[in-house]
Order: sequence, then C-alpha cells, then structure tokens
Amino acid sequence: MPSHAGTPPNDGPLIEVRGVSRVYRRPRSSFGRQGGVVHALRDVSLTVQRGERHGIVGESGSGKSTLLRLLCALDQPTAGSIRFDGREITGRPERALRFLRENLQIVFQDPMSSLDPRMRVRDLVAEPLVGLGLPVGNRVAELLDAVGLPAGAAGRYPHQFSGGQRQRIAIARALAPRPAVLVADEPVSALDVSVRGQILNLLADLVDELGLTLVFVSHDLSVVRHVCETVTVMSAGEIVESGPVDDVWAAPAHPYTQALLRAVPTLEGLL
Amino acid sequence: MLKVEGLTVRADGVELVHDVSFSLAPGERVGLIGESGSGKSLTALSLMGLLPEGVTATGRARLGGDDLLGVPESRLKGLRGSRMSMVFQEPMTALNPLMRVGAQVAEVMTLHGRPRGEARERAVELLDRVRLPEPARLARAYPHQLSGGQRQRVMLAIALANGPGLLICDEPTTALDVTVQKQMLDLISEVAPALLFITHDLAVVASMCERVLVMYGGRVVESGPLREVFTRPRHRYTQGLLAASRLTPRGTRLPVIEGSVPAAGHFPGGCVFRNRCPHATPTCETEPQLTEPQLTDPAPGDPAPGDPAPGDPAPGEPTPGEPTPTGDRHAFACWHPAE
Repeated sequence: MPSHAGTPPNDGPLIEVRGVSRVYRRPRSSFGRQGGVVHALRDVSLTVQRGERHGIVGESGSGKSTLLRLLCALDQPTAGSIRFDGREITGRPERALRFLRENLQIVFQDPMSSLDPRMRVRDLVAEPLVGLGLPVGNRVAELLDAVGLPAGAAGRYPHQFSGGQRQRIAIARALAPRPAVLVADEPVSALDVSVRGQILNLLADLVDELGLTLVFVSHDLSVVRHVCETVTVMSAGEIVESGPVDDVWAAPAHPYTQALLRAVPTLEGLL
Repeated sequence: MLKVEGLTVRADGVELVHDVSFSLAPGERVGLIGESGSGKSLTALSLMGLLPEGVTATGRARLGGDDLLGVPESRLKGLRGSRMSMVFQEPMTALNPLMRVGAQVAEVMTLHGRPRGEARERAVELLDRVRLPEPARLARAYPHQLSGGQRQRVMLAIALANGPGLLICDEPTTALDVTVQKQMLDLISEVAPALLFITHDLAVVASMCERVLVMYGGRVVESGPLREVFTRPRHRYTQGLLAASRLTPRGTRLPVIEGSVPAAGHFPGGCVFRNRCPHATPTCETEPQLTEPQLTDPAPGDPAPGDPAPGDPAPGEPTPGEPTPTGDRHAFACWHPAE
C-alpha cells in the first residue's frame, strides 16, 4: 500500500487530547436524578502514538462515545483541546477538517444501521472517496479483496450479507481514503462469537499491513487485551486508569477496573 | 415438569426448527445456546405460544399436565404469565411505554384473577424482590425513566409475579453492561424456579446452567451436563464455538468457524454443519442422529470410548442405537466427533 501522502512529517503523538470536557444540558429532570447539566466528559487527557493500538473501555454512560465523537470532530468540546497530527481540530469549520476526514475513519458497532440499505456495496465503499473528491478507479475491487469479500459483492445490497460480512463492508469503506487512523466503535459487539474472531483477525491483519493506528472502543476488556497494547478505562466521564493493557489486566489499580474485571464471565474461570 | 418431544417449527414450507426434544425437571437450569439463526428463540416462542403469524409448531410439549402445542390460544392464555413466563432481550420494546411500571407488574396478576388492590401491593413487593431501590416510588415511574438494567429487573418482576414453575429467559443480559449483567444473572439464579436460559454467550451460560443444549440450523446438535459438554465437546460445531469464545494472546490468530450461518432454508442436507465443518466427509451427507456416545458410537468402525468422564451420572439402560434425546447424559449428532 502507498504511504499516506499529504501527512506532514511529525514526530509527536498522532492524537493528543488535553483537558477535554463536554457538558450537555438535560432538557428536563428524570426519575431519581436532578435535572440540569450532565458532565459527559470531565477533564479528559490522552495520547495516542503513531502505530499504537489503543483501547478505550467503559460502560454506557462512561463518556467513551462522547470522546469518540469529539475525536472524529462530530461534536465540539466545552473545554480543552484535541490535536490530530499536531493540528488543532476543535473549533474548526467542516471545510477546514479535510486533513482529519482523509486520515481518520470510523467503523461503527451495528453494520446494519451504519450502511445505507438502498445503496449497493460498490457505492457504499466508494462514498468516502467521492465525498472527498478522490479518484475511485479500481479501489473498490482492491478494498473488497482486502477485507475478504468476493468481487461480486460490489453489485449487491447490505441486506444480502450476514452481520460479519456487513462489518467487512464497513471496514472496506473506512479504509477507502487510505486513512492513518482507524477508529472502531464496538466493532464486534453485535456479532456472533464464531464471526467475532474473523473480524478481529481481519482488523489485526489490516492494521499490520497498512501500518494503521487503531483506536478500539469496547465494553469488554478481554477483547481489548487481545487487540491493543494500551488501554484507557473510563467511568462516569472520567479516565480512571490507563497504561499497558497487560499491566491493567494483571493488576487493576482502580476499584472500577477491578469491578469490571470481576464482572466479565470467562469460560476459563468457570470450568 | 417440561417435556418437549419432536418440536418442529415451519414457515412457508421452510423448516426452521427440526425435531427438538428435551426435558426440564423442577428447579433445573438448562441453557439453550447457538448463534443467531440457530432456532433457539423460535424454540422458546413456540413453547410460550408466541410464534409470529404464519409460523407453526408441531410436535409435543407438556408443562406439567398441560399441552402447549396445538391447543387453542384461550388455554395458553391461562398458562402464559402464570405457570410459565418469559423475559425478553430488549426490555424497552417489551414494556409498555405509556404505563407506569408498577401497574404493568400488577396487570399480569389481575389478568390471572388477583384483586386489583392486592395486586398493586404485591407489585411493590416484587419490585423490592428484584432489588430495585425505593420500590414504592419506582412503581410510579414510566419505563423511559429507568436504566436498561432497571427495566430488565421490572421485566423479571412481571415474569415472577404469579409464581411460575418455569422461567424462560431469552438473552436477558445481552443489551446490558457487564457489571449490570453480573447483578442481573445473580438475581435470576436466585429467584428462578426451573430455568430455560437462551444465550449466544458461552461464558454466561456456564455461569448459570447445569445442563446445556447446543443448537445449530434448527437442530439440537449436542446436549448434556454443561461441564462435560464444555470441557469435552464432541460435535465439531460445539468445539468450534468453544474455541472461538476463548481470546488468545495478542499477536496470535483467533480460532474461527469459517463462513457464516446460512439463511433459513439454506442449510445443507444431512449434517447441517457440514458446509462449515473442517472434518466433513461424504458420510456427512447422511443426517446424524443425536445419540449418547457410550452406548452407540455413530462412526462405523470407530471403537466406542466407554470411559465416562469423572462426575458422569451412572449409565442408564437405553436401548443401543436408539436416540435418547431427552436424556440427561452427553449426546451429540456428529459422524466425526472430537475426541
């Protein structure tokens, strides 16, 4: 694969989040809670190095989805700064975010709702290229081959594929503009366990072959441990623990991480 | 207490569930596992009499002295929610969004003849029993005001309201966070009478059940005591599922089952798993029967193992060669079983 032309040489971290907070206003009070503001993220800082496989773990309400939206510049932080390849991405209008859109792509949890059911696979995979005004050429065939789908898949619709195959389509689409960073938001949570391995193996291969940086979001620390070297554990909008995943796995320091590890049922522990 | 024999479910001439048989003793916890499209939810729905329009079940299923298949809806109405009940995967769609949760718990009791006032009091007790905080106050809340875990507890309270003998749970924790899942599973273990637990998560079933049925392509392909099935799987599908459930160290390839589950009606004839099975041979074009290995070895010329694993229940006396699908012992339907 060609190198990522247009990426300026930079030795600093690829993604740098500094003191980011995001406050939402709650429209009305809810049962058992006070109304008012919700601190979805409080003073979050994290760094992702080039080529790193970084896992983000947390449960619903932990702020991991908010953090992802901010990383992808789909939302703006209330405070703090996010730099991608040394360039600030917060507060910029969409037209000034082309460098980010070309270099950071996302794979969502549910491939059924992230793929337009009325578009053929060919158009779905080419869409990021068309959107960025890049040449399509025979890139679609190349991508389908890279994710292990037959060339004939191009003319079909998403509903004609199984969940695992749809996730392959979503990965092919994300890779279309040759991004430097792949963000995967719970990419295997909706899949059966027999297919989970296929997708995780594929992601690992692609990350290796293309030299990608991977941000992998999951509620399952054991999946993150298989995929990533480093992990950030989030709870209630804050980072409670971060570091090499093997260290966090072996000796979780924060009570929340400990509870999370205890709660995951494992076959090894039960048999 | 529950005995299912030859349950077959069809829609538009396509067989979705084929000849499923099993039984459940009072207080027993049985897991029904398999991937999406394996027929496990349809099996549960046919027992509850909740199959969608155009889908029909044949065979025999008895709960205590009552037939569940081929009986009129009016008869099932009396049983459903009273002698047997079900907790569904998605509590947001299973609860009525316009009704306070206390009233929904009370409704299932008034429907089965309990006086209104008494039902209302008992609803609060039930919400307390499923460990919801401030049950009296929470009974006045609407479903959208609760978290996913709280909603699923309300579903469980509704299911338990009339003291059923059988509780069916269909992926009750799949939509929940792991810490909430743990609490919910602990609670189900504590309160369930007899339990039929459906899940695709092998680790979850291992934490809940004593016995397990593995389904694929609408058939039970392996069954038996959970520990035995999980430590010494014989069917190649079960073996593949177990291998795929274990996450190997970083940098290594994860074991996978090649291909994907075919759509309904597109499973191969003979052994339903043979198009994905690395051990398939022409023999597999003939359908293997679910049999116990100690008594009848399905692979011709292969010596019968005859060495029951430790903790194996004392062998019964079924006729060799005859399928013993409702037995409690380890059975499988495979021509080339794993050793």
